[in-house]
Amino acid sequence: MARLKAGLPAWLAVIGMFVVWEGAVRVFGIREFLLPAPSAIFVATVGAWPNVLRHTMATLGTVMLGFAASVVISLPLAMLIASSRAISAAIYPLLVVTQSIPKVALAPILIVALGANELPRVIVTFLVAFFPLVVSSVAGLLATPPELVELGRACRAGRVQELLRIRLPFAVPFVFGGLKVAAALSVVGAVVAEFVGADAGLGYLIQTSMAFFRTPLAYGAVVILALMGILIFQAVTLIERILFPWSSGSEQSAPPSA
Amino acid sequence: MIRLDGVGKTFRGRDGAEVEALRDVSLNVAEGEFVAIVGASGCGKSTLLRLVAGLVGVSAGGVSLDGQAVTAPRAETAMVFQAATLLPWADVLRNVTFPLRLMGRMERDTEDKARALLATAGLAGFEGRLPRELSGGMQQRVAICRALLQEPRLLLMDEPFGALDALTREEMSIELLRLWAARRMGVLFVTHSIPEAVLLADRVVVMSPRPGRIVDVVEVALPRPRSFDQEGSDEFQRCARRIRAHIFGERAARAA
Repeated sequence: MARLKAGLPAWLAVIGMFVVWEGAVRVFGIREFLLPAPSAIFVATVGAWPNVLRHTMATLGTVMLGFAASVVISLPLAMLIASSRAISAAIYPLLVVTQSIPKVALAPILIVALGANELPRVIVTFLVAFFPLVVSSVAGLLATPPELVELGRACRAGRVQELLRIRLPFAVPFVFGGLKVAAALSVVGAVVAEFVGADAGLGYLIQTSMAFFRTPLAYGAVVILALMGILIFQAVTLIERILFPWSSGSEQSAPPSA
Repeated sequence: MIRLDGVGKTFRGRDGAEVEALRDVSLNVAEGEFVAIVGASGCGKSTLLRLVAGLVGVSAGGVSLDGQAVTAPRAETAMVFQAATLLPWADVLRNVTFPLRLMGRMERDTEDKARALLATAGLAGFEGRLPRELSGGMQQRVAICRALLQEPRLLLMDEPFGALDALTREEMSIELLRLWAARRMGVLFVTHSIPEAVLLADRVVVMSPRPGRIVDVVEVALPRPRSFDQEGSDEFQRCARRIRAHIFGERAARAA
């Protein structure tokens, strides 16, 4: 009840926005292919539902695979970077290079190199999503208070024990901060990849819809993408609250960098 | 038990310049003895403690425990830091047992011992709480219990009450004496507070900064058990005055 009450202003704001939107479109007679009314978006999306669902599932698949790849690769990478100054000095510049390349520019190249299948899309999603996760995980591993590390050393803990039993648990709130950013960015990455090369997915649906001026359907896809991002973000938050109850509420996250 | 012989420690700073933290420090701590180290900031007190703990190595001289050179952390010593440094993800009981679990020294009755220890420290009923749910004083009590559970022969304390408010600090000092009296391990206690040092210690080692050296060792002849009532006694005042004279005399000489 209390949480419902806390969420009330947000819900009212969203509903209010849709009401104003709907009213404005009707009052000013805005044409549908320029800005469809929420009702028109809803009708168009529901009308094409089996098709929309298929595209949603395709995108969700890419998002989840890309997100999973980010997690699987970022965490060991972060541990490696945090474990030694030399490794960090060697790897970090490379990571920054991957971040300064616009992923949209990379997508067509990857599709030619790897074929028109799921793999290049997952790689693009991964490239968009993984960096903040690495950065915040490294920050967490290195933010361990020196006294805690000293305590470990006073207990004659080795480097592996120090990493696994002190640094890694300490980094959990940071890792989850990074996971939340990565979750949102995975959706961005998947759509970017679909724009460039795909025969299914919400990014593909938006492009084909707009090619035929079916603007309401494109808007519907955008709304679904937003919902997808919110749901994944909330799922990560929920997992954190269940598995690491001490962590939630003390979260820290790196600024998102898309 | 622990013996420091002409110990010197020089650090290399980030800019490559050498900083001499300690010079020619010789000190003994006997079994069951409570020794306090007092000195202004930068006199190398904490470094001294870390040398004894085996966390850093000496540049000159030697540290030995029962005649064996200390080159790495040993099971005979346990450390309490200024900050409680509890694991934020573990409850009080798991925090207290953490060092033993890390060292693979858990036994069947370790948890019972931990509970009993927490109870004597006034933490009964808090075993399942997370550190962030405790006050600063309670957190530091957990940290002390964590060190005591290791049953060290020498307890190293680096300004353990430095982050606490004055009232909690007095309360904790008395409590520490109570816990110590029941165990009689050696204690090496670093502090900024002259009254605290005099109240707690059998001997107070006075250090001067840059480089850290021992300038005096004051024997405190107050009867135990100690209490703050003794603060007005002549012996207490004599010791405090003598320590103060060293620390502030040094400063005055430096300023001139």
